[in-house]
Amino acid sequence: MPINYVLLVSRQGKTRLAKWFTTLSPKEKSKIVKDVTQLVLARRTKMCNFLEYKDTKVIYRRYASLYFITGVSPEDNELLTLEIIHRYVEVLDRYFGNVSELDLIFNFERAYYILDELLLAGEMQESSKTAPLKAIQDHDAIEMEEANEEKNK
Amino acid sequence: MAMRGLTVFIADIRNCRVRELEEKRINKEMANIRTKFKDGNLSGYDKKKYVCKLLYMYILGWDIDFGHMEAVNLISSPKYSEKQIGYLGITLLMHENSDLVRLVVNSIRKDLDDNNEIHNCLALHAIANIGGREMAESLASDVHRLLVSPNSKSFVKKKAALTMLRLFRKHPDVIPAPDWAERITNIIDDYDLGVCLSVTSLITALAQQYPEAFMLAIPKAIMRLHKVIVERDFSADYVYYKIPIPWLQVKLLRLLQYFPPTEDPNMSEMLHNVLQTIINNSQETPRNVQHNNAQNAILFEAINLAIHLDCESDIVRQATNILARFILSKETNVRYLGLETMAHLAAVTDELDEIKKHEETIILSLRDKDISVRRRGLDLLYSMCDVSNAKTIVSELIRYLHIADYALREEMVLKIAIMTEKYATEHSWYVDVILQLISSAGDHVGEEVWYRVVQIVTNHENLQEYSAKMVLHYMRSPHCHENMLKVGGYILGEYGHLIANLPGASPIEQFNTLHARFGLCSLATRALLLSTYIKFINLFPEIKGAILAVFNQYRHVLDAELQQRACEYMAIATMPTDDLLQTVCEEMPQFPERESALLSRLNEKTGQTEDKRTWNIGGKDSNEKTPANLLAATKERNENGSVDDLVNSVSNTSISAAGGENGAAASANGSAVPPTPAAPAAKAGLTWKDQLAPGYENWYNRLRDGADGILYEDSILQIGIKSEYHGHLGRLAIYFGNKTHTQLNSFAVSVEAPEGLVVANSHTLATSIGPSTQIQQLYSLECQQIVTEVPLIRISYQAGSTQSIYLKLPVLMSRFIEPIQLSSADFFGRWKQIGGAPREVQEIIKVPGKIELERARSILVNHRLGICENVDPKPGNFVATGVFNTSLSGKVGCLLRLEPNHETNMYRLTIRTTSDVVSKHLKEILHTALLYRPTPSTR
Repeated sequence: MPINYVLLVSRQGKTRLAKWFTTLSPKEKSKIVKDVTQLVLARRTKMCNFLEYKDTKVIYRRYASLYFITGVSPEDNELLTLEIIHRYVEVLDRYFGNVSELDLIFNFERAYYILDELLLAGEMQESSKTAPLKAIQDHDAIEMEEANEEKNK
Repeated sequence: MAMRGLTVFIADIRNCRVRELEEKRINKEMANIRTKFKDGNLSGYDKKKYVCKLLYMYILGWDIDFGHMEAVNLISSPKYSEKQIGYLGITLLMHENSDLVRLVVNSIRKDLDDNNEIHNCLALHAIANIGGREMAESLASDVHRLLVSPNSKSFVKKKAALTMLRLFRKHPDVIPAPDWAERITNIIDDYDLGVCLSVTSLITALAQQYPEAFMLAIPKAIMRLHKVIVERDFSADYVYYKIPIPWLQVKLLRLLQYFPPTEDPNMSEMLHNVLQTIINNSQETPRNVQHNNAQNAILFEAINLAIHLDCESDIVRQATNILARFILSKETNVRYLGLETMAHLAAVTDELDEIKKHEETIILSLRDKDISVRRRGLDLLYSMCDVSNAKTIVSELIRYLHIADYALREEMVLKIAIMTEKYATEHSWYVDVILQLISSAGDHVGEEVWYRVVQIVTNHENLQEYSAKMVLHYMRSPHCHENMLKVGGYILGEYGHLIANLPGASPIEQFNTLHARFGLCSLATRALLLSTYIKFINLFPEIKGAILAVFNQYRHVLDAELQQRACEYMAIATMPTDDLLQTVCEEMPQFPERESALLSRLNEKTGQTEDKRTWNIGGKDSNEKTPANLLAATKERNENGSVDDLVNSVSNTSISAAGGENGAAASANGSAVPPTPAAPAAKAGLTWKDQLAPGYENWYNRLRDGADGILYEDSILQIGIKSEYHGHLGRLAIYFGNKTHTQLNSFAVSVEAPEGLVVANSHTLATSIGPSTQIQQLYSLECQQIVTEVPLIRISYQAGSTQSIYLKLPVLMSRFIEPIQLSSADFFGRWKQIGGAPREVQEIIKVPGKIELERARSILVNHRLGICENVDPKPGNFVATGVFNTSLSGKVGCLLRLEPNHETNMYRLTIRTTSDVVSKHLKEILHTALLYRPTPSTR
């Protein structure tokens, strides 16, 4: 039940993050981003969080100004995919402290790193909130140490 | 660590109000980075910074055609922060077929082998993200090592499992999954729920490909579910809004849907418990959206599993009520999923009544304001359609077709056409619906639909007149669609004469109706109509003049196809005799019956996805080829040993009933010697028999006569058995003792019984044995048919790596014999009745050493034969009798004589039974027993 891609798209239709778990040409990718963004932005609030796009299901949820969008195979469990999105937002929120779109823009590599800790090969890797947080904090600690060494040289 | 240059750059870009400014800034930066890279001699920090800038531009959608090499170099940096950006760079910029993959494989391997787990993780992420053939071939075994090694940390194992999954999905041929099956499956027992989750995802994919090799996953998945859901054993870390690790629950529930239902009664009871608990839990009112979603996600998956196991079970009935509530829910998500799950139920069950109660609600869902919900409603209506409600559903759908979304119409037309064909009870209804469909949704009617109408009308004589009449009627409406014209052209050309006498349908009127639209249609349709006209000339010579005028006109058109037709038809029509015309325009023969092109079209639409579907939209017949069903079917075949059940059962009865030639024929047929059950043995091409533990005979031979004792022993495990038998039934207790001072994990026992012998365990075995502890497993035995093989047992446990021991169980045929005593007269009477070969077998056995009469006597007694004293006139000769019991193939009387010859140290053994198979096998058993001398060292 793999997730094919995760997109973070602003309300203006700007892509803030795009993670692909399938191999596609840049052209195919940009086609999907364009089509799916258009479909999702057109949905109204009361509608359900699922829609169909070609042979895949698109599952999305809006948080403030950002849409979190995933493309999954039609067999996938929809509600749980929705909750994967939520878990990602929670971890981002905990890490950045009340995460905003700007945090994700300026620290995009962190956003990718956290996503990698949650999802691998399109599958949920870790569902606890603490484990990915610990991983990224360790990662920050190592970087800090290396930066200090640099300074002391 | 923040990089100032990067932050400034990002801020700059954000300040660009128009795209041109952004482009200018980007180009400037690219030029800058290009020169920096060209100069070389950059510090690690600078390289990292520039790669980051490139990545940012890449995410914004700009084409990045350089910098890959710098990213590759960063990977081998000793500094973590640089290495990490390097990996991020290659995962974003590279794809699996990139030439650069070759350059990074070695660096990645180095990081996989590194003792630093954080480096392992980075490498695994890279493989999981890129994962081409090159990587799969050179790195899969390293990934496997990290996954199964007892030294791997949990967070490494998780990543290794999913990395393997990615490689398998991309290049299944590179992963020797069946060889790795057991060690991978054992990881479901891992105490870390995260590891369990990842490995379940992996197994789900592998098991679809190699269901037999992953059978062991069934009990493991059930036990894990039971542990989490019923025993509530989980770490608090993994609770998601009051629900313990919903992702794992759903994965395991899904995994089980890829297998046929378990046959083990304990397991299925456990699973039943799990499902019931899930249903009970779902009654709880959720606290918030997250809780609600997680709870429902599990519930829907559980319902899907319940439907898969048995769609008439009590649980499914409860679920149907819940679903009925769901499709009325105010929450759109729940309505959507309720309809979807109900469609699953409708697709597999025979019992549609419960669902039909909600027909009205479901039809209303076609008018939901959300297209996603409308789609699900359509699927459900399609799945629940049968003869009784086809008319209602089809007419609702046709009504809805006018206002349906464009995106939905083609699919709807296809589905309506299929339902109509499948459930039509009157032919006229079929014709009405299809013609209505073509006239009202012509644009969405694919070629297949109208081809099919033509096929059906041609094959059903009683439809022809009616459809000719109707199609003529439809063609007269002002908005006649071109597709209608095609159908009309074909049908009138073939069957127009059937209605020629009706008012308004005279030949010239038929022709005029068609020709009125001739000029407006596509070339293909015009070509078709020209063929209709030549047929008309054959059917109605009276309108030949009008038609020849048309041909004449078209002899000069530009289109080659039309021109050729016009010329040829003209020539045929103006020949002096009508012979050729009549031959050419002979009535079309019936079409051979074939699968509807519509169905294949629809199936094509559902297409291939990564995971196989566990069910298909549509009625029961569309669900016979789901993975689990296929597996069940092959299994059934394998168990029967031969594809032809009938032949098999016939020859089985003939063994005990008739003797003589028949019996010999039966054994040649293959069923007298029970075929080794192919199902579990197929694993890795080796049968269990080939893998028996070395030296097992020492223990086994001592237990052949039914004694209790040790069956196997090594430095870790001691296995003992105790048994008792009565008639065709028996009980067997097996004891497993752990001799070490550590716990044995992933302990599993499975039994492979020969055909005709049923071995069932009465309770579920623990999956671990504590240090210096003994556990017991009870089996009940039932001998159903004549069995000449003994069951095999396989014990496996985890001690560093997985250890497996294969042993024979001493459940010989003679265990199921009951001793009897016969008088001399009775004995010889029956002895004669049975007669000579093949039901008699005789053998001279020379024993090593002296003949011991007491030993011979105890062998006979131990093999459960009653010794009849004073039957044989010569003292010292034994006469023994017994009845071999089976529950299905009746009883077999066994008579034998054992005559010792003290001078030559030889026995003459003569056995007569009512079955030649039993005679032969009993002889072999006694032969082995008489020759057997326990070696002193093992005593």
